[in-house]
Amino acid sequence: MSLVDVLNVTKEYANGDETIRPLDGVSLSIHEGDYVSLMGASGSGKSTLLNLIAGIDQVASGEIVVAGTDITKLSRGKLADWRAAHIGYVFQTHNLIPVLTAYENVELPLLLLPMSAAERRKRVEIALEAVDLTPRASHYPRQMSGGQEQRVGIARAIVASPTIIVADEPTGSLDDETTEQILSLLSRVNDELGMTLLMVTHDADAGARARRQVRLERGRLMENGKETKATTLRTA
Amino acid sequence: MLGKRLLPWDYGVRNLFRRPTRSALTFGGLTIVVLLVLVVVGFIRGLEKSLTATGSPDVVLVYSLSSAADIENSSIPGRTAALLSASVDGIRRTHGVECTSPELYLGTRVATASLEQPGMGVVRGVTTSAPLVRDRVQLVEGSWPESGQVMVGRLAHSKLGASEKDLVVGQQVEFDGKTWTISGRFTAAGSAFESEIWAPLADLQTTLKRQDLSLVAAKMDSPDRVADVDIFCRERVDLELKAVAESAYYASLQKHYKPVRMLGWVVVALVAGSGVFAGLNTMYGAVAGRIRELATLQAIGYRRRAILLTLVQEATLLACAGALAACVIGLLLVDGLAVRFTMGAFMLRVDSVGIAVACGVAALLGVAGALPPAAKAMRLPVVEAIKAI
Ligand SMILES: Nc1ncnc2c1ncn2[C@@H]1O[C@H](COP(=O)(O)OP(=O)(O)OP(=O)(O)O)[C@@H](O)[C@H]1O
Ligand SMILES: [Mg+2]
Repeated sequence: MSLVDVLNVTKEYANGDETIRPLDGVSLSIHEGDYVSLMGASGSGKSTLLNLIAGIDQVASGEIVVAGTDITKLSRGKLADWRAAHIGYVFQTHNLIPVLTAYENVELPLLLLPMSAAERRKRVEIALEAVDLTPRASHYPRQMSGGQEQRVGIARAIVASPTIIVADEPTGSLDDETTEQILSLLSRVNDELGMTLLMVTHDADAGARARRQVRLERGRLMENGKETKATTLRTA
Repeated sequence: MLGKRLLPWDYGVRNLFRRPTRSALTFGGLTIVVLLVLVVVGFIRGLEKSLTATGSPDVVLVYSLSSAADIENSSIPGRTAALLSASVDGIRRTHGVECTSPELYLGTRVATASLEQPGMGVVRGVTTSAPLVRDRVQLVEGSWPESGQVMVGRLAHSKLGASEKDLVVGQQVEFDGKTWTISGRFTAAGSAFESEIWAPLADLQTTLKRQDLSLVAAKMDSPDRVADVDIFCRERVDLELKAVAESAYYASLQKHYKPVRMLGWVVVALVAGSGVFAGLNTMYGAVAGRIRELATLQAIGYRRRAILLTLVQEATLLACAGALAACVIGLLLVDGLAVRFTMGAFMLRVDSVGIAVACGVAALLGVAGALPPAAKAMRLPVVEAIKAI
């Protein structure tokens, strides 16, 4: 069974008289343990699709079913709760909270979930260990390099063991060496921790690191030269 | 459950130190605002207290019908006290002595050692029975005045505009062409008596070449008996007397000062209003630079309510710190500050009401200052805000 089903999703923006439709009836299934890279020209709608799956944007039509829940039907508040439990978001620029230490930034998503303080501490320590930043736990973002900040961002995304981790150009603002570090870290998250990943990138080499590569072209989603389909067809 | 979904308390606190200068300036501004509120409320409270503390419901004042409401203009025969004792039932007796106090009451220029110009003072000629009626008057230093002596209320110097050391026991004051030696000082539970100078009645009458009285104050067995005195005065039209409960007399004065109190509250509202703008300005600045961060928190799963709360927390913390500083300054510098006033002097009071109002204003500043900028930030869709720089 698939973990994420995007079913016939359309997204459009009114731009004066004309309508931009970056996603025009797109379908996609992501399975547990998948590592999917999403590529396409600038403005093709990659971020839009990723944000829809992450539950921070609304579809014009279609359904997005994640772990059995159609998130397009959730209210705003419920959607926030849902994100806390199911989504790990890695941003292009790390988006860490400047007044919180690395440890506290990583802990932030856990404060939304029911768990004991001891459990929380254990999880934060494991996540920081996974990104190799245990010695930096008490540092503030401004005391770290861009690559280190992005690793804290990844620790924050994986700490709650979300259903899926989405990353929007996670290496977009890093140099080559740091990019390599981050990409291999993401591969390890997929390989060793068995987490499901969806990564938007405009870098073909980066995209090639994923297990599956899909492309957005003129509102359609392509994989291996064919339009992607959802494997689960819901009869509702 | 609610607590679990809130942002850490530390987040709000540390955000205040993000722009230390801006926070410090706002803190200073809010402190001044709250201090101003404290001073105005202290003024209103002091005025109210001095007027309400003066009147007892079981004390009746008998003075002349023709004097309108102003006892200073009243003149009644010297035998009125004896007449009242003989004609009215219900006057209280303490240790066999009838609680009536014949008094002469006048405003006059009083010269002290260091005053260049004599100040306007209030002098009351009393007999030794006065404390039986005005039972809140308490000698705190020295002794009851003998012939040629006076005792002064603890705020009499403020009323005169003189320094406190001019009116210590042993000093001399001059009024109505006679020099008087201060024999004692008294308090009167914050009432208007505290700004008066009390002299022996007979002495004052001799000095002024008067034989009449301004009023007779009598303490009744109960507040109901005040009406009996009133009836007596109405029946004996020939005496041209009028009886009013002391509490009613000062309540009518208080009515007189209602516009002043209203004005005071208007000032409180205006000052608090200006404080809201200071808070708003800070919070708009604080939120504007943090659009992406607030969107990130939402993307992670924090509800908008939680983010709103942390912003309100931030602003309220700052305002409360300001309020705390203002209350400390207020208690140290403002409380007890004497204010001269037409009918006497009174003290500014930083009491529980003042502090409650100040804290209320501070809380209001925090909430009112944070909500509009927070609401503005929350209206932006997360996907757009997340791209903000
Ligand atoms: N809020 C908006 N209002 C109007 N049009 C928008 C809005 N957000 C996105 N678009 C349009 O939707 C299209 C897809 O945008 P999106 O950000 O998903 O592109 P992208 O593939 O992520 O591009 P890039 O590689 O440059 O990040 C673009 O043409 C963009 O102009
Ligand atoms: Mg994009």
